[in-house]
Amino acid sequence: MQRRRQLLRHLRRHPLDSALSLAIVLLLAWALWATGQWVVEVADWRVVSANLPLYVSGAYPADQRWRPLVWLGLILTLTLVTLLWPRPRSGQRPGPMRVALPWLWLLMLPLGLAVLAGGAGTGLTAVSSRAWGGLVLTLLLTGASGLLALPLGVILALGRTSDLPVLRHGSRLYIDLMRAVPLIAVLFFGQLLVPLFLPVELEINRVVRAVVAFALFASAYVAEDVRGGLQSIPPTQREAAAALGLNAWQSLQLVVLPQALQIAIPALTNQAIGLLQNTSLMALLGLVELLGISRSLLANPAFIGRHLEVYVWLAALYWLLCTAMALLARRLERSVQPIPRAPGR
Amino acid sequence: MTTALPSPMQPAIQASAICKRYDQGPAALDQVSLEVRLGEVLVVMGPSGSGKSTLIRTFNGLEAIDAGALNVLGIHLDADHDERQIRRIRRRVGMVFQQFNLFPHLSILDNITLAPIRVQKRSRQEAESQARQLLEQMGIAEHIHKRPGQLSGGQQQRVAIARALALKPEVMLFDEPTSALDPERVKEVLDAMRALASQGMTMVVVTHELGFAREVADRVLFMDAGRVVELNDARSFFHHAEEERSRRFLNQMQH
Repeated sequence: MQRRRQLLRHLRRHPLDSALSLAIVLLLAWALWATGQWVVEVADWRVVSANLPLYVSGAYPADQRWRPLVWLGLILTLTLVTLLWPRPRSGQRPGPMRVALPWLWLLMLPLGLAVLAGGAGTGLTAVSSRAWGGLVLTLLLTGASGLLALPLGVILALGRTSDLPVLRHGSRLYIDLMRAVPLIAVLFFGQLLVPLFLPVELEINRVVRAVVAFALFASAYVAEDVRGGLQSIPPTQREAAAALGLNAWQSLQLVVLPQALQIAIPALTNQAIGLLQNTSLMALLGLVELLGISRSLLANPAFIGRHLEVYVWLAALYWLLCTAMALLARRLERSVQPIPRAPGR
Repeated sequence: MTTALPSPMQPAIQASAICKRYDQGPAALDQVSLEVRLGEVLVVMGPSGSGKSTLIRTFNGLEAIDAGALNVLGIHLDADHDERQIRRIRRRVGMVFQQFNLFPHLSILDNITLAPIRVQKRSRQEAESQARQLLEQMGIAEHIHKRPGQLSGGQQQRVAIARALALKPEVMLFDEPTSALDPERVKEVLDAMRALASQGMTMVVVTHELGFAREVADRVLFMDAGRVVELNDARSFFHHAEEERSRRFLNQMQH
């Protein structure tokens, strides 16, 4: 009531204001109407509905498609459990589920790789990574390169803040270099040049090369975020750790890094979301992740001219994924930092 | 809490002509020599910038000395700043800071058990039961699973004392433990320190609390401009200080 009155008063204050507001509202309404009409009446969604399995797992063999589906189902379940499981009240120890969740998340990547690849030891038919694609590949690329980039970034950040000049300058050089080169160049470098340096017998998988190049790139950005966290830890924390007899490594591992990473979480979330979206660049390298599979579908004569449908659908999918990631990150932020950090003086 | 040393006559801490200078500044410590006896409470006083904090921070190697030598519980330390010697000292000397310096990401319990488990390799179970006991003594047992940020300053400082005591130290260093506290919170921390002193703990306390010093100190060290002005028996220091500079300081403190 209060707010509505405020709004009305605001609108009446000036005729130009009112006219402008009205115009904006009309414009929005028209845009919504037009979009809605297009979505419902004009658009031909067969390009999406007929190809759902391709969007999910690309060219994965049809009789084995249950494997990527099971993995996606597990991730979805884990996401829901993470978001909906009650948080421990302050002053209480976290329950066993809270303790297990991070490990379950970590387990998802090797599990996904094993389930998709199959072969010896798993009792599943082996499926070459050439056949992987779609949403599953997007998630794997994001997860694997993120998981590689994080430790690498932490090491770089520590090097960057080290007392040893060689380490400090080396890390800085690497970070500056990586940040000065566009991602696509790094990716092409990984695909085309790296194999030239390696012995012929050692043929590294295309996906692995992409992941490594991607992680090398992302680690430079992660390093700067972690460095920000490291620098915001007061030196008195190290002093307190030292006075308790902890050695430099213990002080870093138990006192400084946990706090620095905690502070860096919002920035790292940004990186993770950027990472997910940037995996679409791998379509240019011929990987058929979400964007790649869409491009190959558009090349199919049956679906010619359906660009708009495909890209609207892709946008919705990416939006969904990024939103889920943002929600998970917010959850993480809250669960590790349930209280303000201000020293209670 | 004090374990017997080989020779009862040996001082807990012995400083011989130690010097310390920060970059280009004036000498923070200028030829300071003193002994801290086992089982005594030595209160260090002096105007700000007189080097009292620097002095006690050299005792556990938080500040490296430029010249002179230290002997802490029989462990030698000099300008070489030998890391291994320093760690041996830190395992036997506890320290409490002005700003508490608790670890904000850990619960109170984990703050206290971190070093016993990681440094002294004691079992988690044993470390936790000792932590509970210490918190009981400090009167804050009910906050055991909270984070430091949820406690008042006085409570945090008592946790910091418990954290230092968990390593079963033979000497405790206090660097202005009540200076960051609200006046009404000072007493609870001083009470904890009084109790510790009455158990015979060797304590070096940098403080401006005259009442505490009068009541608990065995001896008082008065410093100014990085030098020892007077090292005297507490009673003598407060009733008829030898040095004019000490008397002036005491006068100012009382007004």
